[in-house]
Amino acid sequence: MNLSDGERVISVLNEAGYEWTDNEEEAGLIGILACSVRQKAIDKVYSRIHKWNKWKNNKNLITFISGCILPDDHEKFLKLFDITFQMKDLPQLPEMISRYGVTTPTHLKAGIDPHNENIEEFWNVKPNYQSGFEAFIPIQNGCDKFCTFCAVPYTRGREVSRPSKDIVAEVALLITQGYKSITLLGQNVNSYGLDKKGDEITFPQLLREIGELGKRMKKDFWLYFTSPHPRDMTDEVIEVIAEYPVLAKQIHLPMQSGDDKVLMRMNRKHNMEKYRHIVETIRRIIPQATLFTDIIVGFTGETEEQFENTRKAMNEFKFNMSYTAIYSPRPGATSHRWDDDVPLEEKKRRLHALTEELRKHNLPYNNVLIGQTLRVLVRGTDRKDGFLSGHTEGKLIVRFASSNENLIGQFVDVKITSASDFSLEGELVKTEVEVLA
Amino acid sequence: MNKHKVIQTRQLTDSTFVVRMERSQLDFQTGQFVMLGMNGSTDRREYSVYSGENDDYLEVLVREVKGGKISGKLKRLKAGDDVYVDGPFGFFKFAPSNFEVQKFLFVATGTGISPFHSFVRTHNDLDYQLVHGVRFAEEAYDHRDFNSERMTLCTSGDMKGDFNGRVTTYLAEQKIDADMNCFLCGNSEMIYEVFDILTGKGIPVSNIYSEVYF
Repeated sequence: MNLSDGERVISVLNEAGYEWTDNEEEAGLIGILACSVRQKAIDKVYSRIHKWNKWKNNKNLITFISGCILPDDHEKFLKLFDITFQMKDLPQLPEMISRYGVTTPTHLKAGIDPHNENIEEFWNVKPNYQSGFEAFIPIQNGCDKFCTFCAVPYTRGREVSRPSKDIVAEVALLITQGYKSITLLGQNVNSYGLDKKGDEITFPQLLREIGELGKRMKKDFWLYFTSPHPRDMTDEVIEVIAEYPVLAKQIHLPMQSGDDKVLMRMNRKHNMEKYRHIVETIRRIIPQATLFTDIIVGFTGETEEQFENTRKAMNEFKFNMSYTAIYSPRPGATSHRWDDDVPLEEKKRRLHALTEELRKHNLPYNNVLIGQTLRVLVRGTDRKDGFLSGHTEGKLIVRFASSNENLIGQFVDVKITSASDFSLEGELVKTEVEVLA
Repeated sequence: MNKHKVIQTRQLTDSTFVVRMERSQLDFQTGQFVMLGMNGSTDRREYSVYSGENDDYLEVLVREVKGGKISGKLKRLKAGDDVYVDGPFGFFKFAPSNFEVQKFLFVATGTGISPFHSFVRTHNDLDYQLVHGVRFAEEAYDHRDFNSERMTLCTSGDMKGDFNGRVTTYLAEQKIDADMNCFLCGNSEMIYEVFDILTGKGIPVSNIYSEVYF
């Protein structure tokens, strides 16, 4: 989400005449897009702003902060940063900068607007895409789910859906420009439209419109979305993904825990029966789809038995990837009031155990792919010298021998020759366009 | 957030009270919660709606928490003061028409009775049983609003309840039909234990709904 927000911030500042510099010490304007999901990221913000405020003794510098900010932090940031604004007010940023030092902008005194009014002005900012082949499109902002481990409802406000015509137009523009990977973004992306109570299309309808667009435009691209919430994951979403070739056969479905009681305490509003139904539907309708998830280990009160249920669920669902996080209380989230009673060493053990489960299933899955020719979107040079790397439609990482950087951003065919736990290696067999080395 | 004028506060015990505000066209489904805040403060707290869907006012049940950022301020409110309300939120929603079998078991501890109070004010002909666990009988918040034949008060700190002991002890001794729709609201420890008791009696997980307060 912050990457997508950042593209719009850069666009607004470029338009106002500012130039990007990679050299922090050279900058006259420095901003942060904060993330409140982990405390460590916010701690870094405090460290940076104190450093920058010291620099002000020797140079002119204006600082700003936006993004995902808790009310308590917001009050402190008002004193530390020159400008604090909500992302929905981004179009006014150049004006805020120009007024800084002349008058005190009244918006600085305002709290966080939980209703995200004017968020459409932010969405209308044309982003300065940082990649020529991958793009992220925000389709929804805010969250109404109130998971007890998360502070997003308090930092980003209520769920607000972007008008579908604007989303489809942005997708169309990106396709025309040759983008190959487009990701629809939202805190609960498949809750799209529900806030409009019938005045907007639903998420599967939005996917269908983009699927039809892909058919009409006859261009190759993969459309992803992240993250959906199991509560609002309907069979219709899965059926639409199956129907349209441009809708990538990769589904990221956060599970968070494999234990019903932990899910209750997390206030997830889905249980394992619901989750199991969704996975079974995916396996039945789109058997080739890869499945990614998010899991938290060591959530407050998580017993060994409850953790074992998560481990069993890993075994059952055989995820292709799990973004597993050690639980840490986040100020502002409901669970921050509860004892963080699973010792850190035990949390690390559980994290390690789940990673091992993931490895156990990934290697056989990846081994089956040896000998197959897969389509790969080349994303960059690999750490291994003389290799490029990219991902398949299912976001499996593939590397292959080539030094031809002109292939970056292109679809190529790669014959898989070997597999490891988390990646594949192969030989380049075909490029889609003539690419000069 | 929308500004709502306080109509009155009503003290139920030394620490627990009801704040009644103007409804101001807030449309909610019984079982949902709202976030309350005060002018000049960024702090917000969630409270289940206590009043019914058809009441022309909005009520929340509040227990004062020592050192709490909101509850103490709410306690000092007077008629005519402003409260900032956001919402409604939540999926602990209750529309009887959604359930094939119209039999309901409500289990609450302390102020967790709040959504059930809203339920029965809205749907007063429900076939329900409410088990309410408190320490002392004086915490039987507005029990007169419930059908006394459908209510069991469990008191763990005195002998004045219908049952002397915790709700979990009471429920463990009861026969509960497997097709019962069970709604649990209160602290997570109670919800955990009741979940085990109910599933142990054959209630499917899909028939158990919970709202964790703390």
